[in-house]
This record gives sequence, structure tokens and C-alpha cells, in this order.
Amino acid sequence: MIASIPSAVLHGVDGRPVSVEVHVANGLPGFTVVGLPDAAVRESRDRVRAAFTSSGLPWPRRRVTVNLAPSGIRKGGAGLDLPIAVGVLVASGVLDAAAVAGHAFVGELGLDGSLRGVPGVLVLADALVGHQVVVADVDGPEAALAATCIRTASTLAEVVARCTGRRPWPEVPRCPVEPATDGGSRGPVRDLADVHGQLLARRALEIAAVGGHHLLLVGPPGAGKTLLATRLPGLLPDLDPATARDVARIRSVLPDVGPATGLDVRPPFRAPHHGLSAVAMVGGGNAALRPGEIGLAHGGVLFLDELGEFPTAVLDALRQPLEDGVVRISRSGGSTSCPARFLLVAAMNPCPCGEGGVPGGCRCSPGARARYARRLSGPLLDRFDLALRVDRPASTELLEPPSGESTATVGARVVAARSHARARGVPANVELDAAGLDRTAPLERPAADILARHLRTGRLSARGLHRVRRTARTIADLDDGAPVVTGRHVTEALLLRGSRGLLLGEEKR
Amino acid sequence: MTGDDDLACAAALLDLPGMTPVRLARVLDGLGPALAWHAVRAGTHPGDRSRRFAASARDMVPMNVLRRYRAAGVSVLLPDRAGYPTALVGDPGAPAVLTALGDAAVAEGRPAVAVVGTRSATPYGASMAAELGRGLAGSGVVVVSGLALGIDAAAHAGALDAGPGAAAPVAVVGTGLDIVYPKGNRVLWDRVAATGAVLSEAPLGTPALPRVFPARNRIIAALADVVVVVECHGRGGSFHTVEAAARRAVPVCAVPGSVRSPASRGTNGMLVDGCTPVRDLEDVLTALALARGGRAIEPGRGRSGARAPAVDRRLDGLDRAQRAVWDAVDDTPTTVETVLLRTDLAVATVAVAVESLVVRGLLLEGAGWWSRA
Repeated sequence: MIASIPSAVLHGVDGRPVSVEVHVANGLPGFTVVGLPDAAVRESRDRVRAAFTSSGLPWPRRRVTVNLAPSGIRKGGAGLDLPIAVGVLVASGVLDAAAVAGHAFVGELGLDGSLRGVPGVLVLADALVGHQVVVADVDGPEAALAATCIRTASTLAEVVARCTGRRPWPEVPRCPVEPATDGGSRGPVRDLADVHGQLLARRALEIAAVGGHHLLLVGPPGAGKTLLATRLPGLLPDLDPATARDVARIRSVLPDVGPATGLDVRPPFRAPHHGLSAVAMVGGGNAALRPGEIGLAHGGVLFLDELGEFPTAVLDALRQPLEDGVVRISRSGGSTSCPARFLLVAAMNPCPCGEGGVPGGCRCSPGARARYARRLSGPLLDRFDLALRVDRPASTELLEPPSGESTATVGARVVAARSHARARGVPANVELDAAGLDRTAPLERPAADILARHLRTGRLSARGLHRVRRTARTIADLDDGAPVVTGRHVTEALLLRGSRGLLLGEEKR
Repeated sequence: MTGDDDLACAAALLDLPGMTPVRLARVLDGLGPALAWHAVRAGTHPGDRSRRFAASARDMVPMNVLRRYRAAGVSVLLPDRAGYPTALVGDPGAPAVLTALGDAAVAEGRPAVAVVGTRSATPYGASMAAELGRGLAGSGVVVVSGLALGIDAAAHAGALDAGPGAAAPVAVVGTGLDIVYPKGNRVLWDRVAATGAVLSEAPLGTPALPRVFPARNRIIAALADVVVVVECHGRGGSFHTVEAAARRAVPVCAVPGSVRSPASRGTNGMLVDGCTPVRDLEDVLTALALARGGRAIEPGRGRSGARAPAVDRRLDGLDRAQRAVWDAVDDTPTTVETVLLRTDLAVATVAVAVESLVVRGLLLEGAGWWSRA
């Protein structure tokens, strides 16, 4: 007899439907799996057999052939254990085919017949829309985010009992929203009020949070660059439901990020160490094409501390996703794309000794400084709308109690200012295109004059012009949503844009 | 012509691979260049490299070497001949052979002051160096420096700006005279060579090796009657000049700077150690008069007097924010953050005020800092 059970395997951050076909026929007793299974799937033969015995189910003393269709693509992961087991049960006549009609199965089996969770269950359930998807009960809350009916069970025997209707399927709770006290990356909230002084950097953080502008902090060691960067996720508003779901899907694929207890609406914060490889940054790797750090930072903040220490190849791999908000990962086994729309915050020292930036400050040779600055390609630096110097606060400031605004105060302003961008049809101003800029950010006469002067003197490039206009639009949004961009807005945007000289400490007149 | 023969042999000796100023002095000691050349070529000259030098010398034609120097516009100077700076004659570390672009004789008979300092100068240091360079040259004093970035370049540029009738500057460089280092100073290098002289003890083609610069600094000290250090960080290249000057009993002066400025750490330390402070041209000229046995030198043209009132007039018509920003910015680089703290104004207000002050030429704008122009 033959049975065909729907299931799915992971491919990047998407699920691919797979049909598990089981054929039980006369012949020498045996059990083969075909259809490009990887090691984990081939091992499922032993798990499935042991689970049958432990659950008191009869193993057919006949020839069992399992085919994973479509057979041209490679399948990985242990999530096919359950559909194979159900397929054998149907094909050997223990279960009625009608009892499992309309059901899809995803889960790993233990030798004792228990049902275990699998990575990416949300993504897999999403790929099986239209079916009642049976998953392990530990996977229930996460799978419940999917737009399809979810059934849970804790053992193989329970699956059989519930499919045959001897016992009812339990109610799966709809996935709750994770409590909003969560800071970015599920850490504690880091309050902006802890920052002493840093008036310029505070302003830049607020503008970055409103407009989604990438931010570069340059300063000597101990100036508080990391402290400032970790304050940014707290300023960002909650994710919209679609983005929160995307974030949940990406996290679902990577089990090491931590189990989902619900829909996390706080923007993620990722701070990878500079030793990471290009694959760890953008994603890829084995046939499953795992998402990388930029995928995990989708909707939130990617913080690169010591930017100058990252390998050039890793940094340049960021350029395309920064532009498109999505990263395409292609390997010989296929290609996939992963959303990666993140706010890039980077921190670095101005020169190898760390004390440079202001003329006369450091003792690095001009050659060493130039080499240090060359580690960052011009196109990457160009993508930072905000680049500023951060200096150590004066000792008197450190001893006084911090007097700056708190995350709650600034966060409220950010939410208010972001509503202007949403009214324009973009989540943040950084995504306004040139036409959108002309429409929504008309320049007042003096503002145009200032920009023209900077273009003439070569301080501003054509590409930089659009970036400054976007930042100026954001500053105008913070200025009670002024409809026209004034000279004041443009001048502040130009000041905060900084220049490549921030790294070289060049004198410019 | 035996005169050219001597120069040709000296040039050939200088050009030998592996020749250093110390070895060259030893080879030429007591012998004329022609005799020394033949001794080296024959391998009869005692020394650590005599065999290797002899092998290299065998294929060389001294006259061709000299022609190559002359084709590059470089003259070869020997201590006992006209053109060699008299200030170096009798100096224990005097180079046995010197190469020159331009006319080294322009400095003869004039007092000389070395203006040296750090390569990473602040706008304050650069403007002080330029002011001293201009004033000294205008007073008929030869400005000696090393054509490096920062203070050196500013001092030379100031001396060249002193106008007609001023003393021409002299540069002592570490590289061969056909290698301009740093490359960014090419225009300045050509202007110094055209009006004054660029000297080097290195053969043509010598790149910027770390060892050539300290050696060059001793020549600067030996040429000068007074050494003025404008800005230097702790220990550095300027200290080689200072030590060489101290060994020759050449007075060393230092320009004081802000105690918070790292670029003035070395000079302020020198003042603590008892160096003469220099506030303006007059202070240098006084030190120079003392060093030259009391013969006073009149400050000449090119002196920038009465600067402060001019600035004050330019401050007329500033609005309140512009005035606050102007008051918050120092002569040394002042970061944006410092200005925000001192003025208590919004970022946009400061940005607008700075923009107009920069347009008026009152402020210099750097990357993340400003200073008074």
C-alpha cells in the first residue's frame, strides 16, 4: 500500500513543502529512504523504528520504501521523522488514510516515541498553509504564529489516538505578544538617562531612531561609543506586526537565538564580534542557507564595534543589503533571500593609537592613519548619514548625576516624529527615494543655497546630497513636522554628516 | 680640470652602494676625494667594506656620476670649496659631501634660525610657525627647517611669503634630492630650491628611510644660530634636533602651548627644563642677538602686527548665538561637543552660527572640530 504525507523542510528562511511517500510492499523486510536525504534524515530510519516499538505500534514485516518528493532537492533536518512514521502507519494499514487527510506533520521522534521540537517550525508551518499542521507540543506556541491550524501532541501514540478521533486535539493558545518591558535583543532596557553629557551624540541617536539613518561614532577608547549604541534600540518604536513576524520567522530558523515564547515586538539588537566571517554576517553556509547576523538584525539595530577591525570582505558584503533591505544568498544548491532591513551603528577609533581625530592629538604617522582609514571603503562610509566624533566626557561631568533625558522621553518624541514618515508611505525617511524627497521635502530658498555652496566646494557629492536631504527631512519631522526643509535643518544635517576627515584628522578649510 | 675630478670622485664615493655619512667621512679623512677614490677602487683603503666597495667601484666612471648629478640640477659641495656652508666647517658631525638644489651661498653671512616641530601640528602651531618664518625672513634671518609636514612646511611657507628682499630659506632633507618626501610638499620644495637651497647628504635615489631623518636633524642644528621648536609631542624627531643643538651649544627656544594640547606637551616640557620661551618674533630676535654676541637684529617687514583689533572689528554685527559660539571656540581645535556644552545651545543653532562664522572667515572648520581662524 502507498501513503503520501505532506511535510516541509527548511530552505534559508523559507519552508519548502515536501511530500513524504511511503510504500509498503511484499519482499524481504527492509527500510530505505530515497530522495536526496541528508544524514539526519537517513538516521530517522532508526529513530522511527525504535519509536514504533516503544509506542507499542506494529512495525510492518515487509519492505518499506520512503521517497521524499520532489526528489531533486536536498532535504535536511530531523523534522521528517513524524511524517515518515505516520506514512508507515497509513501504508501498513494501522491508520486509515482518511484519518490523516488534510493533516501535515512536522516533528522529530525520540527513541521512546516522544515528539520533539524542530528548528524553524514557524517557517515550516507557514509553508503548509491549508493543512492542519501537527507539531510537537513544545513547538505549539511558536507554530501558532503561522496562519494555519496547528495541532499538537507529545508522543507518537498521542498522534495516532488523536488522528483516529479517540482523543480530541487540545486547544493551542494563540501566540501572545511578548511583554513590552523587553529591551532590544531580549536584554534589559538600557536607559539613555545613564549617559553623561554627549549632547551631540544624544541628538544623533534621536535622529537615527526617527529616520533610520545609519550612524558612525568615531572617538578614542573609553569615550562611551558602545554605551551610546546600546541605547539606540530602546529609542526605536515597537515593530509593526508584519516586521515582528519576519523577525520571529528568522529567529525560528536559528534555534540558538532562543525559543520564542511569543511575538517579540521590540526591535532586535545584534552586536557581532569583529572576528566573524562573511557567511556569519550575511548568511549562507551549509545547504540550509542559514540567515546571518544582518538577518537577525532585521527591523532592529546592527552594531559593529571596532569597525576598523572587521575584515574588509565582511564589511563590503554589507553594501548591497544596506541598499536593498534584503540579502540574496546563492549557493550551488540553490538561492534564497532573507529580509535584512536594519539600522547600522558602527563605532571605531579615529586612528591606530585611538587619540587622533583632532590635529595634534595623536602620534600615528600619516601613513599609518591613511592605512587605518583605507580599511573602510568609500562606498561603505558614504552610507552613514550621521558620522560624528565622540569624546570622553570631562571628569566633572562624570561625577555629577546624569541630567539628560531618559529613553522614555526621547522615545515618545521618536514615535511622534515617525508618524510623519508613515504618512508619506515609508516606515522611515531613510527609505525615501529621490522622487519622494522632491515631493515631501521641498527646500526653502536659503536651504538650497547652503547645499549649492557645499556642492560647489566639493564637500558634498551628488549621492551625499540626497542623504543630507533625507536627514534634513528627519530633523524637520522632529521640528513638529515642518512641511518645508529650512536652512536650519540642512545645516544641522550637514554638521551631523561629518566627513571622511573624521578618521584621518585632516585639516579642512 | 682637477676641480671637477675631485667633485666627480666625491660624487662617485657618495654613490657607492652601502655608503653612509659616517663611512664616507672615514674614507675621505685625510685624503682628497681623488686619492680616496683610487684607494677605494684599488681596495687598499682599510675599512669594514673595502672589498665590496672596490668591487662596486670597478664599474663606475666618476665623471658619469657627476654628470648625472648635474643633469638633475644637483650640485656637489665639498668642505674646502666655495658653496659649502661655512657654518658646517669645523662641525664635528659635518657631512663630508653635501648635495644641493639651488644656491646654498644665499645663506652665507646671514644669521640663521631653525624652526622645527611636529608633523601633526595644530592650526595654532602651524600659524605660529608661519608667523615666525615670515617675520624672521623679513628681518633678514635665514629660516632653516626640514621640509616635513606640519611645522616645517608652515615655517618654510611663511619664510617664502615674506616678500621681496627677505632672506631665502634653507631646507635640509633626509632623502636624495630627486625624491620629494612627503610628496604633498612638492610645490614648497620647488619654491625653496628656486629661492634658497635644499640640502641633503644622501645620494640621489635615497628613499625616505627612518634612519636618514635623525641624521638630517643634526645638520639643521649645526646650520642654525638658534633653534625654535614650535610644537612637539613628548619625544620625537624634534628632540633629535634639540639634542644636536645642545651638543653644539646652540640655544634652543620653545613656543609655549596649551597644557591640554598633546601637540604642545614636548615644548611645554622643554620650557619647564629651562628653554627660552618664544611668544613672538621679538623673542626669537633677542635670543639670536644674544647667541651672536649682542649684535641686535631689527625686526623687518613681514611682521604681522596689530592683529587683535582687526579681529575685533570683524566681530561687529554678530548675533547672540554667533557671539556665544565664537566665545566658546579656542585657538586650539575645539570639538563640537565642547561648544555645545559651553554655549548650552541646540545643535541646529550652533550649526547655523558656525556656518555663518565659517563663511565670514572667522572660524576654521575641521572634521568634528573648529578653531579660530
